[in-house]
Amino acid sequence: MKPAPFEYCRPSSVSEAVDALAAAESGRVLAGGQSLIPAMNFRLTDVSVLVDIRDVAGLDRVTVEPGGVTVGAAATQSRVLADDGAAAVVPGLRVALRHVGHLQIRNRGTVCGSIAHADPAAELPALAVAVDATISVEGPDGGRNIAARDFLLGPFWTALDDAEVVTEVCFPAAPEGAVTVVDEISRRAGDFAVTGLVAIIEPVDAVVRSARLVGFGVGGAPMRLTEAEAALSGWAGHHTDSAVLEAAAADAADAFEDIHATAEYRREVLGALVVRAARKALNSGASP
Amino acid sequence: MSVSQPVSEIEVEITINSRRRRDRVPSRLLLSDYIRDTVGLTGTHLGCEHGYCGACTVMVDGDAVRSCLMLTVQADGAEIRTVEDLAPAGSDALSPMQQAFHDNHALQCGFCTAGFLMTLESVDPADYRHPQQVVELLSGNLCRCTGYQNIVTAVAQAWSDSTQAQ
Repeated sequence: MKPAPFEYCRPSSVSEAVDALAAAESGRVLAGGQSLIPAMNFRLTDVSVLVDIRDVAGLDRVTVEPGGVTVGAAATQSRVLADDGAAAVVPGLRVALRHVGHLQIRNRGTVCGSIAHADPAAELPALAVAVDATISVEGPDGGRNIAARDFLLGPFWTALDDAEVVTEVCFPAAPEGAVTVVDEISRRAGDFAVTGLVAIIEPVDAVVRSARLVGFGVGGAPMRLTEAEAALSGWAGHHTDSAVLEAAAADAADAFEDIHATAEYRREVLGALVVRAARKALNSGASP
Repeated sequence: MSVSQPVSEIEVEITINSRRRRDRVPSRLLLSDYIRDTVGLTGTHLGCEHGYCGACTVMVDGDAVRSCLMLTVQADGAEIRTVEDLAPAGSDALSPMQQAFHDNHALQCGFCTAGFLMTLESVDPADYRHPQQVVELLSGNLCRCTGYQNIVTAVAQAWSDSTQAQ
């Protein structure tokens, strides 16, 4: 359980980091390392050069503006979790981060690293898709901005090229009056979810006006639940749930199956989480 | 300080339990192995070596971290505290939390204890006033002997003593 030999560098600028990645046979960016180091300990990933970005000035910045929160690539999860300003503008950051790992993991792990790692059962990539976050990357040919839904392609698979570095992720502000719920079923607190849901729901007069729903731990990448969103529109919480449950199950028609749960179980859990999130949003809307 | 060219060995300067050291280490050396094998502080235990069990928890610049999920080179310039630093030097006394663990039978085999103690040392008790918050705090450390109840009791005792002392 020790990493195989590799070379290490610690550049002082993003362009040096890009150069180091471009020159490496198999380079990886090291930010918090809370997923990468265990993968290297297990020898699941082949790394010839680790490019540590901790000395790149400004990458640990978290910028809170009325329109959104921009999180730099080296900003830790603990730092963002503790940021009241960030939680006020993008409540999903705080509610999602509460589910991420444990204190010791969040003290090192980064928000951007979790998104770049693209674990299909992770909360932050799903949040990024739910709020339409933008991932900024720098590479040999300059910078580009990628929408989260286009960035996250599959399990541990992103649109990032080999020599590109994620520099920051911008999370747009939640709509006024919206309630953000992050809920999941996991074997133990802090574990990756068996199945989870990010829901951004706008209740008006005890009725769901609109809902943005993204499931995780269901497919290879965060899964937008468009049928369940449609089924929730106008929902008041008291009538039968079957339409909502069926819609969520239809969205998750190709849910995966593994040692933890069958695809059928994941579909049922997802539907239950959608109903639970909608009820929670309606209840919190009723008592401002 | 930047390291512009990729290297397989590197010199690091690390302060561990208030003592500053310089060591030349392989890039691949985990902080946990550095603490135990290079420095010789074997109070930090290695359970799973993939960030699951929390036994190897130490403090890096005041924060509890898993030393098996950190490279030694990432701690270059950092201040590290391990379980050896908790009890007052030059006496047989334990720290208040260690004493509370002892009093409440909050350990049996003791393998996980250093990790629990370092997690607890890293936080402000004022942020964990409710028992549920303590349980959540401790959820990042696994114990296979106690069933956790006695650990939670020990924490309550140590922290209530510390607030009474203030």
